[in-house]
Amino acid sequence: MATGADQAVGFGLVGCSLLLFAYYTIWVIVLPFVDSDHVIHGYFLPREYSVILPGVAALILLLCVGTFIGIVTWKNRKPKKID
Amino acid sequence: MADTPVSSTTLCTMTKLLEWLLGVSVIGIAWGLVTFDLLDLHVPSQYKELAWPMPVYLLVVFGCYSLATVGYRVATFNDCEDAARELQTQIKEAKVDLQKLGLKM
Repeated sequence: MATGADQAVGFGLVGCSLLLFAYYTIWVIVLPFVDSDHVIHGYFLPREYSVILPGVAALILLLCVGTFIGIVTWKNRKPKKID
Repeated sequence: MADTPVSSTTLCTMTKLLEWLLGVSVIGIAWGLVTFDLLDLHVPSQYKELAWPMPVYLLVVFGCYSLATVGYRVATFNDCEDAARELQTQIKEAKVDLQKLGLKM
């Protein structure tokens, strides 16, 4: 078994993804079938945000990946050799 | 691999790629019909509310599954103590050999 920090990070990732899955599933799949005056609707944003927020997150992820590639490419640029 | 034919006795060769594209477009058309009311099916409003975020929902679920799989594999990856020690001794031997041959480190 992996030890210490590896286990903590690994199981932390599993826990986070389970939480995210549960919250998002309740938001998208369960809420339409719950009466609109139930208490639980107060814990969730309006339905449009269930599409907008993942879209924004995907854009930010693409931005980070692109920036990382740009930085690494910039650092590794070498001047052309003069023969 | 994706282009190997699935069946050999049909009029056109149905490759795996075509199969996937067909399946995805059938599901896509079904989703479009429910979300945009193209056939006046009188779907109850709750099912319409459920249907329109479906593509994004499936993407998010796939992302969660990937994250959970990576996290679980990181947590259960075994340390190989013997292999690590053997590698360290081999590195030391290599360094001694190369210094004998004249390589400066």
